[in-house]
Amino acid sequence: MPLIEFENVSFKYGDSENYAIKDINLKIDEGEFILLTGSTGCGKTTLIRCVNGLIPHFHQGVLEGKITVNGYLTTEQTVAFLSTIVGVVFQNPENQLVSLNVLRELAFGPENMGLPREEINNRINETAEKLELKHLLDKTPIELSGGEQQRVAIASALTLKPKILLLDEPTANLDPKSAKMIIELLGALNKALNLTIIVIEHRLELLMDYVKRVILMEHGRIIADGRPAEVLYSDEAERSGVNIPRLIRVFKKLKQSGVNLIFNPVTISEGVDALKVMSRC
Amino acid sequence: MLEVINVSYTYPSGDTALKNVSLKISDGELVAIMGPNGAGKSTLVKHFNGLLKPSKGKVLVDGVNTTNMTVAELSRKVGFVFQNADHQLFAETVEKEIEFTLKNLGLHENLEELKVKALEDFDLIKYRDKSPFSLSGGERKRVALASVLCANPKTIILDEPTAGQDLVQKNNLLELIRRFHSEGKTVVIVSHDVEFIVDINPRIITLVNGEILCDGDVQDVLANKMILEYSSLTPAQITEFAWRICEELKPLPNNIITVDQLIEALKTHIIGGSL
Amino acid sequence: MSFNIFEAFKYRRKKTFIHSLDPRTKLALAIGVSALSIIFTELIILLIIFISLIPLLIIAKSIKEWTGTVKGLTLLIVFILFVNIVFNGLSFAVSMVLRIFSLITAFSLFFLTVHPDELSQALIQMKVPFSFAFAMSMAIRYVPTIAREAQTIREAQMSRGLELEKGGFTQKIKNFIPIIIPLIVSSIRRAVSIAESLESRGFGAYSNRTYLLPLKMKKRDYIVLITLLAAIIISVIIKFVVGLPPLLLLSIPF
Repeated sequence: MPLIEFENVSFKYGDSENYAIKDINLKIDEGEFILLTGSTGCGKTTLIRCVNGLIPHFHQGVLEGKITVNGYLTTEQTVAFLSTIVGVVFQNPENQLVSLNVLRELAFGPENMGLPREEINNRINETAEKLELKHLLDKTPIELSGGEQQRVAIASALTLKPKILLLDEPTANLDPKSAKMIIELLGALNKALNLTIIVIEHRLELLMDYVKRVILMEHGRIIADGRPAEVLYSDEAERSGVNIPRLIRVFKKLKQSGVNLIFNPVTISEGVDALKVMSRC
Repeated sequence: MLEVINVSYTYPSGDTALKNVSLKISDGELVAIMGPNGAGKSTLVKHFNGLLKPSKGKVLVDGVNTTNMTVAELSRKVGFVFQNADHQLFAETVEKEIEFTLKNLGLHENLEELKVKALEDFDLIKYRDKSPFSLSGGERKRVALASVLCANPKTIILDEPTAGQDLVQKNNLLELIRRFHSEGKTVVIVSHDVEFIVDINPRIITLVNGEILCDGDVQDVLANKMILEYSSLTPAQITEFAWRICEELKPLPNNIITVDQLIEALKTHIIGGSL
Repeated sequence: MSFNIFEAFKYRRKKTFIHSLDPRTKLALAIGVSALSIIFTELIILLIIFISLIPLLIIAKSIKEWTGTVKGLTLLIVFILFVNIVFNGLSFAVSMVLRIFSLITAFSLFFLTVHPDELSQALIQMKVPFSFAFAMSMAIRYVPTIAREAQTIREAQMSRGLELEKGGFTQKIKNFIPIIIPLIVSSIRRAVSIAESLESRGFGAYSNRTYLLPLKMKKRDYIVLITLLAAIIISVIIKFVVGLPPLLLLSIPF
């Protein structure tokens, strides 16, 4: 059974005439690391809100179809219950760090769940260790850099021990170095915890070393879904105006000028390998 | 012309954001200020329209010391567009948003003319009577640009213009910046979007800890491993790819930053035979 | 100047005896001292109360911040002094100022040494509903964020030629509209996104919420509380039953 399943899902926000997402069918298995992309307004954020139940419980509107997460119908569960299965990290860390210090931030979710103190302390220690936050535990959010803030936001979702982590443009407010570190961290969490990760991102090249699947949306629909090479070399990707990594643009142009490629590289290592093969011919 | 002469700036909190910075930007230049967060990039450009006045040293705009001028006076010469459009928009209609700036800057005489020009330049004619809050993110960004640049300033400052923007919006910005440049305006962009800067191809100044680390063209800075490292910048994917090819395959020219440069180099050095 | 007052009431992280006290103890201390300085009108006694607070400031290493508060309030203090000299004579005026000093000192000592999170925890343990206490600590949390945003908006509008100081009284108020509207709009956006984040972590979902760091009164708290209580009882007895010795009734003779 897939961990997340969408069957013919459409959603229209209460104050809108148009569907934000339309006819979504999607199956996601445990341990997948997925890049969700598409131009602004294509429905990515709406899709993510459906997974953790913010739609239809927090954002009201017309929801059609069936969404199942870990065997539960999201319509029949509360967001609070789903939060122990699905963690969410939003674009602006300032708006997720609601406590005055990091320790309390990490405790916030488990406290709300009414977990025993000892268990909460264990989870904080474990998470702080893994995400290298131990030295920041008594800092206030304003004393942290953007990258540190986003790491704390991720950690505060992880203390609820979710199986799934959703991230909505987590690097949009970060400088390139911090952005790279956040994505590396996600890669490590995916491997170490078999955490299922769905990340929305415009800077696709940051994720090429980690993701095995790319979902591309346009006007509320999924227009391509598959391995990065399949999706990013497709005509749909070109047409949808998504920011195709420049390495891929190089190989696409080479192909157009008649160069033979035995496979479509998406990472730098694959790119080097492809060139090695070519230079031998 | 913008001249920064031995400028230091210390915030009231005691943090020193600029240390003895000197630089000169001539009319019509296209300049990017890059560097890690907290390096002093915003602090530096806020001196250009008088939002900040130097603690030490002086800043001259067209030869006039900014210390003796108000932000409003300087804003007729230097237009400053902030990162987040939502921090500037407040009026009932797009049109009123633009009028606000023109009236503030005392441009009453040719107000109508300047307003229509701004609406046309930023493709906002059809939205002129709409509330800025009813528009999409990309459209609001255009209103914010129009509401600063309607005064037709000679110098334009853009603070992190591409943050959170998708490719379509970035390409629109790129086109705009090229247009400003071709009109002879001075454009100063604060950004850490390496690929966007590669496409603009400006003179680059990198700041680290409140000091200028280097000042050069795109290839000097963005293809230089050492400078990138010290400026906390990450190389463009193409540049990184080119380095890896050099390490693992064959040497390539060491200044590759664009897609076309790389294709050219690959054709000459690596896959010439297979074509 | 208003910035100074705000700064001086802001919590500072320090390791001192005063900081380590339970916030409820410090609240009792602040209220107790205020009560005493209101009960007594005698110059000498008010002076004693005020002077006895100074060692506490020293122990809390908060003299500098306290001086900031007082500086910020100079105008108010001078005003009170002046009005009272005119209407009630010098002696009463000085007493009033001493009283105000004691009140400011007692409460700035409280705010300078109680972490807002501790304060909300104290409220919760005093049976204030969690959502209320949490809203209060979150308000404190977001003050600097919103202040910074207001500053950015101000700069953005100044860059469009807005001059706040320009014009008459009504114009000056109107000048703030271009700052207030974006600030409200972005604060509402922020509030929605904070609410999403709270919701996504089970805020308020279950009634058996755990509090990771409950407050516990320690020996030192009891010592401070007993001392305070004793001081209040003795003072009240002396004032209302025994009567004050003449020495303490001295006042400035004009």
